[in-house]
Amino acid sequence: MSILQYGTRRTLLLPMLLSAKNRFFPTGSFPIKAMGAGIFCLVLCTVIFNVTLRVITYFHAQNELGVILSLKIFQMAWILIFAMLIFSCMVSAVSSVYLSQDNEIVFSAPITTPELYFMRYTSNTIYTSWMMIIFSLPLFASYGIVFQTPPLYWLLMVITLISMACSATCLGLLITVILINIFPARHTKDIILYLSLCFGVMILFLIRLLKPEDMVHFDKYGFLIDHLSKISKPAAPYIPAGWAANFLSLYLLDLEIDWLLLGLILLTPFALYFLGEGAMKMWFFPGYSKSQESFGGNTKFGEKRKYLPNTWQWVFSKEFKIFTRDSSEWSQLFMIAALVVIYLYNFKLLPIERASFSEEFITNLIAFLNIGLAGFIITSLSARFVFPSIGAEGGAFYHIRSSPLSIRRFLMYKYLFYVIPFTFLSLTLIIISNRILHIEGPMWWISFLINLFITWIVVALALGFGAVHADFKSENRTVTMGSMGAIMFILTATALQIVIIFIGANPVYRIVRRWLNDHVLNLSDLYFLIAWVLISVVISLGLGIYYFRKGIHTLENS
Amino acid sequence: MNRKKLPKAGIIIENLVKKYGTFTAIDNISLEVNAGQIFGFLGPNGAGKTTTIKILAGLLKPDIGNVLINGFNLAEEPVMCKLHTGYIPDRPFLYEKLTGDEFLRFIASLYNLSTETFEKNVDRLLTLFDLTDWQDHLIESYSHGMRQKLIMTSVFMLETPTIIVDEPMIGLDPKSARIVKELFKNHARTGGSIFLSTHSLEVAEELCDRIAIILNGRIKAVGDMESLRKEARLETSDLEEVFLELTEAEELTEVIVALKNME
Repeated sequence: MSILQYGTRRTLLLPMLLSAKNRFFPTGSFPIKAMGAGIFCLVLCTVIFNVTLRVITYFHAQNELGVILSLKIFQMAWILIFAMLIFSCMVSAVSSVYLSQDNEIVFSAPITTPELYFMRYTSNTIYTSWMMIIFSLPLFASYGIVFQTPPLYWLLMVITLISMACSATCLGLLITVILINIFPARHTKDIILYLSLCFGVMILFLIRLLKPEDMVHFDKYGFLIDHLSKISKPAAPYIPAGWAANFLSLYLLDLEIDWLLLGLILLTPFALYFLGEGAMKMWFFPGYSKSQESFGGNTKFGEKRKYLPNTWQWVFSKEFKIFTRDSSEWSQLFMIAALVVIYLYNFKLLPIERASFSEEFITNLIAFLNIGLAGFIITSLSARFVFPSIGAEGGAFYHIRSSPLSIRRFLMYKYLFYVIPFTFLSLTLIIISNRILHIEGPMWWISFLINLFITWIVVALALGFGAVHADFKSENRTVTMGSMGAIMFILTATALQIVIIFIGANPVYRIVRRWLNDHVLNLSDLYFLIAWVLISVVISLGLGIYYFRKGIHTLENS
Repeated sequence: MNRKKLPKAGIIIENLVKKYGTFTAIDNISLEVNAGQIFGFLGPNGAGKTTTIKILAGLLKPDIGNVLINGFNLAEEPVMCKLHTGYIPDRPFLYEKLTGDEFLRFIASLYNLSTETFEKNVDRLLTLFDLTDWQDHLIESYSHGMRQKLIMTSVFMLETPTIIVDEPMIGLDPKSARIVKELFKNHARTGGSIFLSTHSLEVAEELCDRIAIILNGRIKAVGDMESLRKEARLETSDLEEVFLELTEAEELTEVIVALKNME
């Protein structure tokens, strides 16, 4: 390889490196973003480290089964991280290798396919695995502390983690190149998206249906030896994540190094890299030329109907069509459905009969706290769907701005579009969970009405914050969800719900207690309840209207 | 929309100022576009053309000054002004996941366009721009030129008395460019007014009744071709020479000489 080729490879990485430098360390100004990101990572790492340390210490303090269980979690974590890395690399690879905006500049330049592969592989590996590596370090480091390993463990852990991330991204890229040769890029992106969603849903169900809380109740297992032998088997011996887990497990337990596994861990990324490079040479250009096809391809949409001027109907129709035709949007509904099922399933598993209080009292307490829980789900989903909905208009927002439709009316239509499904979701969560908990009487109505109200306010807040912090240049809604504005929205909406629940605790307790004891409603209790409702309405409406107006003002003056 | 009910078309810009921080993008400009007129707005890059256009389209608020569109004050009655104005931007941003037909219906609804006007105009314009076969395809599969033609269709179907247009010919094939020019001329003939910003001096020379040249946020010259030639003291020259003279691009001559010497 000539010096020039080394130079080309370095040059190809420059856009990524310089963009990161300009973003985090802008010339002539204090690197606030870098500082913020650094502090955030540090705080999150500390939290992960402490939580894992506590859990592992707890397991470790049990008998031998506890140690095996903790190692089982260790193996599951490796496999999960490996699978997640493959999927995220595949999603990212379709965009960065085939649909990236810089493709026309890069492909028209005199660079070879291996150089192109090197560029895309390196950037993909960094983009998809840096977060996973940073946040899994404290997780695996806590094992080193609990198992009291020598410092060599830390070195082996870091090497294994980086090697596994490289293997996962190589594999992800390899699968993507092959898939795109079969399907057009946009279809492949959809396919991968569905696959990763199915994977996510499967993981959610698996974790929930396994009932991990039962793992420490050894009395649940009839045959302890069977259970012990089942969980102490080495994990997935044919995949790099299994090698990594088994290699480090062995070191944690016996301070032994399995040289065969180490060899496999170190050599696999190189082998996969060259395999990927070969695949790229063979299949990249046929796949790239296919990638120009649109989602619809040559498909025709819609049926001709008579045009009738109806602004709100067409704003609704536009929102609905854009949502249903964007696979990255509507496919999230599967995830939401899975979340709802698991959410409700949890109520079925609650060990209410084991509580020392009256069962009715406990269920009513849970129903009251469930207002906050359902509210939090509504808040999270609003951050995902409602908050980015203004920025998602993108450059096309000028059509609205230059039209006679006022921003206020436009936001109102958007609000109505989103508030209907959110109301439905919120009521589903509350009504079904109340039914599972056998809630009747005043608590049923309190949870129903307050949740309804919270939903309406949260959606308004999401829209208001979304308008204030609208990013019309953002390419997808998921990125917007992690923005500062979205975080501010989540904090504000959560704080509002905490305040409502906190000040409502006493009046609700008084009214529910009397209802449970005597099945009557007392007038003075009702006054307290009404006062709480009024205060909540004033605070919520005040906040909702304030941010909604602020959103209108920002959009009108942007 | 019923054109007969609308007031006389025309734009009046009075003492417009727009600053971005300490940078003055538009510095006290005043212009008038009469009904039945195509008004050309020329200037080098960064002179303030797009800022002016965006103010006229209601996308930016000026710091100082007034804009009157068809007798309505843009600051006081923005909805009425927008109802009377069609805006064609230089970059065709559209809703990628809608079909062309759905996009047109959406835009028509925003302007509360009547069913009769919609049906009368859309098929004709789609046929003119060769978009009939594409109207039920997603916009994401359209080329740049097709997007630009779809925006043109959306604006012409509205029959607004005023049209504000930024770089109209970018991405258009010669046939479509010819059609757009004819549509502009026809719009002016029927009493409408067009405020047209362009870098294409041929387009400006062919279409515009009056031309303003903006430089560093200030109006350097306004008038018809004849008066601009007089102002530049180039009475037999074309618009390119007049433009270069008025925008003080003297260094261009030196650049051209240097380039010729390289050959």
